[in-house]
Amino acid sequence: MGDPIAALDAGGQEAVFRVQDVEKHYQMGEVTVAALRGVSLDIGSGEFLVILGPSGSGKSTLLNIIGGIDRPSLGRVFFGKKELTAYSESELTRYRRNHIGFVFQFYNLMPNLTARENVEMATEISREPLDATEALKLVDLEERRGHFPSQLSGGEQQRVAIARAVAKQPEILLCDEPTGALDITTGKVVLKVLADVNRAMGTTVIVITHNAAIGQMARRVVRMMDGQVRDIRVNPQPRSPEELEW
Amino acid sequence: MKVLDKKLFRGIIGARGQTIAVAMVVLCGTASYIALAAAHRNLLLTRDTYYTEYEFADFEVMLERAPLTAALKLENLPGVRRVQGRIVEEVTLDLVGQEEPRIGRIISLPDRHEGVLNDIHLASGRYFDGEGANEVIISTTFADANHLTIGDRFKALIDNKKHSLRIIGTALSPEYVYMIRNAQEVVPNPERFGILWVSQSFAEMAFDMTGACNNIVGLVNAPDDLDEMLDRADRRLDPYGVFATVKREDQISHRFLSDEIKGLEVSARITPAIFLGIAALILMVMLNRMVRQERTQIGLLKASGYSNTAITSHYVKYALIITLIGCLGGCVVGQWLANAMIRMYVQFYKFPILRSRIYPDILARSMGIAIAFAIVGAVGAARKAAKIHPAMAMRPQTPKYAHRTALERATFIWRRLSFTWKMIIRNISRYRVRAGITAFGVMVSSGIMLIGFFSMDAVGYMLSFQYREIQKEDVKIALESERDRGALRDIARFDAVRRAEPLLQYPFKVSSEWRTKDVGIIGLTPGSQLMTLLDDQERPIVLGERGLVLSEKVAEDLGVKAGSVVTLKPLMGRVTKEVRVPVRQVARQYFGIGAYMDLEALSRILDEPFAMNAALVRTDPGAARKLSRDLKDIPGVAAVEIKEDTYANILATMAESMNISNSILAVFAGVIAFAIIYNATIVSLAERQRELASLRVMGFTAPEVASILYNENFLLSGLGLLLGFPFGLAMCKLLVKAYDTELYRMPFHIERRTLLLTGVLTIAFVILANLAARRKINRLDMVEVLKARE
Repeated sequence: MGDPIAALDAGGQEAVFRVQDVEKHYQMGEVTVAALRGVSLDIGSGEFLVILGPSGSGKSTLLNIIGGIDRPSLGRVFFGKKELTAYSESELTRYRRNHIGFVFQFYNLMPNLTARENVEMATEISREPLDATEALKLVDLEERRGHFPSQLSGGEQQRVAIARAVAKQPEILLCDEPTGALDITTGKVVLKVLADVNRAMGTTVIVITHNAAIGQMARRVVRMMDGQVRDIRVNPQPRSPEELEW
Repeated sequence: MKVLDKKLFRGIIGARGQTIAVAMVVLCGTASYIALAAAHRNLLLTRDTYYTEYEFADFEVMLERAPLTAALKLENLPGVRRVQGRIVEEVTLDLVGQEEPRIGRIISLPDRHEGVLNDIHLASGRYFDGEGANEVIISTTFADANHLTIGDRFKALIDNKKHSLRIIGTALSPEYVYMIRNAQEVVPNPERFGILWVSQSFAEMAFDMTGACNNIVGLVNAPDDLDEMLDRADRRLDPYGVFATVKREDQISHRFLSDEIKGLEVSARITPAIFLGIAALILMVMLNRMVRQERTQIGLLKASGYSNTAITSHYVKYALIITLIGCLGGCVVGQWLANAMIRMYVQFYKFPILRSRIYPDILARSMGIAIAFAIVGAVGAARKAAKIHPAMAMRPQTPKYAHRTALERATFIWRRLSFTWKMIIRNISRYRVRAGITAFGVMVSSGIMLIGFFSMDAVGYMLSFQYREIQKEDVKIALESERDRGALRDIARFDAVRRAEPLLQYPFKVSSEWRTKDVGIIGLTPGSQLMTLLDDQERPIVLGERGLVLSEKVAEDLGVKAGSVVTLKPLMGRVTKEVRVPVRQVARQYFGIGAYMDLEALSRILDEPFAMNAALVRTDPGAARKLSRDLKDIPGVAAVEIKEDTYANILATMAESMNISNSILAVFAGVIAFAIIYNATIVSLAERQRELASLRVMGFTAPEVASILYNENFLLSGLGLLLGFPFGLAMCKLLVKAYDTELYRMPFHIERRTLLLTGVLTIAFVILANLAARRKINRLDMVEVLKARE
C-alpha cells in the first residue's frame, strides 16, 4: 500500500504517473503467480526515483507496465491525464516512441550498427530528436561514435544505450538495473550520466535496482517486496553518484 | 537416448512451420522423381509390350512398285526374320455431312489376320473376312473425331475413281502411336487425317497393283546390324525405284514417342536433384541455427556424459525425420502423379494397352536420394555440435564482430540510407552464407519458372514465324500428280482465289561428300508473295535462278554453307541422273526440314520445262473454307489445307500440354521460393529476437520491425531474381540445344512480358512467405526476450 505522506511528497510537482492498485498475474501452467499485488504509486515530473527490491519483488514488472511493454491484470495507470492501461497496442507503441526511453541491464544495442547508428535508430522515429552526435557528447562518447558494440567496453555500451534513450528527448527515462553488469567505477560513471540528464534536461528518471547504495542518490526510494510497495523513503540530502560505495 | 528423442520430437513440433516448408520441398523432389521415373518406365514398358505383341517392324522400305515376290525374297537376306509387302497410298476422303475433304492413308493388310507385321489392335468391329469388298478398318481417333461408327460408309477418291467404303472396325496400330501425317505437322490432327486399313486384295484391285506392293516392312534378328542389311535390301530392290529406307528409330511415330521417353529420363535425373539440393540447403541453415541456439544445452548434455555420436546423430536424425515426412508424402503424390501421367500419355499417344506399375526400386531410390541429400545438409551442423566444448558452451558466445561493408565506403550513398537499411545490409554481410543461400534459392526458383514460360514463348514464336512470316498463303492445294501451267490457270479461275502460285515438291537424295539426306525440295516461283524464306537475321531471301536454299538443319547435317556444292538425285520417277547444285543461302526454319529452289530450275532437273504438283493460294478474306469445299470434288486434287486451321490446331494442342506442365513448374518454383524465404525469416527472427524486441521497446511498431525482415527478404530476392534471369536464360539455351531434333528446333526467343511475369510471380511468393512469418513477428514478446541475457 502506498504511503500517503510519501505520495504527497511526489505531488510537490505534478504527478507524471499515477499507478492505482495494479496487480499482475502470470499463468504458469496450472499455478497462477502474482508478480504485483496491489501497487499504488505516484511519480512526479522531473523526479529521480529509485525502485529498490530483490529479484522477484515485482520491480521489473512495474517498470515494464509503466513503460508500456506489459499490461497489468488489474488496476489502472495514468500517464498525466491519459489512462495508459486503456491504450491500444498501437497507442502504446506511439507512447513508447514519443515519451519513453529505455535503458537495460544488458544494453541491447544492435550489434551490427555503430554507436552513432544505434543512436540514429532512435532519432529516426522521434519527433524532436537530439542530433546523434549531440547525444553521444552528452554521455562523453563522441570520440567512439564509429565503433561497433563489440569494440566498446560494457560501460561504454551502456552509455551508448543511454544516449540512444535520451536522444529521443523523452519525458521519462526507464532504467532496468543499468549498472547490473558493470563494475563499481564504470557503474558510477553511468549513474552520473543519468543524474546529469535528470538535472540538465528535466527528464523523469526511474531506476530499478537491487543495489541499495544507488538509492542514496534519489530523493525518493520505493522499496518493493513480494509484489508490493513496502515503503517509500525520502532522502533529504541525496548524494551525488561519486560518493556512493557498494 | 530416449530423452534426446523426446527433445527431437518436441523440437520438430515446435518448428512445425519450418518442418512443413522443408518437407514440402522434399515432397516436390521425391514426387517429381517418382512421377517422372515411373512414367518413364511405364511408358517404355507399355511401348515395348505393344511393339512386341503387335510385331512393330524394324524397318520399312518405300518404293515405286515392286512385285510381292521380290519383296518376299528379302527374307533370304541374312538377319532378316520376316517381311511383308504392303500398299500404302494417301487418298482424299469425302465424308457425308463434312464439307471439307479429309486425308486418308490407305494401308493394306493381309487378307487373313495371321502373322501380320505392324498388326492392328481392333478397338471395335472385326477383321476382313474375305467376303465383302470395299471393307475398311479406320483409326480410332479419326472415327471419334468424325463421329464414324461401324456400318457407316464414306467415299474415297482412289486412282481418280470414287470408291464407297464400309467401316467394319476401328483400330490402333504400333505404327501410329503418335498419329501424325508427316514431321511437318508436329501435332496430330485426328479430324483431318486418319488411317484406313484395307485388305491386300482390295488394295491391289483399287490401285491396279495386282501382285505388287509399294511398301515393305520387316523384322530382323539383330537390330544392331540394320544399316548393313538395309544397304543390301536397297541394292536388291533398286530396280523397283526405292526412294526411302526407314529404320525403326527414324520412323516418325516412334521418334516422337522416343523423344518423349528420353525427355522423361533426363527430367527424372535433373528435377529431383534441384529440389533435394534446395532442401539440403534449407536444412543446413535451419540446423546450424539450431546448434547455435542450443549451444548451452549441448554443452550440458556433453558435461553429463552424452557422447559426440549421440549428439551428432541427434541433429542428423532431425533432418532425416523431416525428410522422411516429405518422402512419404512424395511417395503418395508421386505415385498418384505417375498414374495420372501414364493415363495422360495413353490418351495423347494411342496405346491399346496400359502398363502401370508400382516400382519398389524407384520408391526406394527416391528415398535413398532424399536421405543422402538430407545427410549432406545436416552433417555440417551436426559436426559443429560435436565440436562444442562443454565448458565453453556454458558461457555466452562471443558476439560476432561486425564489419563495415563495402557499401560504407561509398559514404555518399551510405549516409542517405535509413538505419533500417543499414541494419539490413550489415546483417546480410554478417550472415553471408545464409543470405547467399536465400538469393540462390530465389534464383533457382525464378529460373525454373522462366524455363516453363520460355517454352511457351518459344513455341509461340516458332509457330508464328512459320505460319505468319514464312507461309503467307491461305490455302495450299496438293495435286495428285505433276501438271503444267494449265493447272494454275484452272485454280485461278475459282471465285475466291485472289492469287495463286505454283509449287513443285519433289523428294531428293541430297549429298555432300559422304553425308546424305533425304529431303523434299520445294520449287517456288521467283518473287513468291505467298512463301517468304528468311535468313538468320530474318531478312527475306531472294531465290535465284540457280542454286539451292537449305534450311539451317539440313545445312548443318550436310555440313555445308552458302557457296558449297551439293549433289541432288531424284528419289522418284524416271529421271535418275545426278546434278550438282550450289548452295545459295541458308534459311531459318524451326520445324521440319526443307530445301528450296526456283521452280523452273527444279523442273528442268526433272526434264520438264515447267511442272507443279501443288499451289499456294491467297483467297478473298474469309473465303478459304468455301474454296476448300469447292475443290472437294475436283479430280486431280489430292488435298486442301487451310493454313489457319493447321496453325490453330498445333497451337491449341501445344498450349494444352504446356499449360499443365507450366502450372506444375510454377507451383514447384513457388514451393522453393516460399520455403527458402520462410525458413530464412524464421531463423533470422529467432536469432535476432533480442534486437527486434529492443526496437519494439523503443517505439517501433510491429509493421516497422517486420519491414526490416521483409525488406531484407526483398533485397535478397531481388538479387536472386537478377541472377535468376541469366540463370534461367542459360537453362533455356540448354533446352534449345536439347530440343534441336530432326522434328523441330526451338528458337531462343523470350517475350519481355515473360520476364515481367516471372518477376511478379517470384515477388508474390516472397510476399506470401513474409505473410506466413508475420504471425511470429507480431507475437514477439518484448518482456520475455529482454528479461535476461541469452
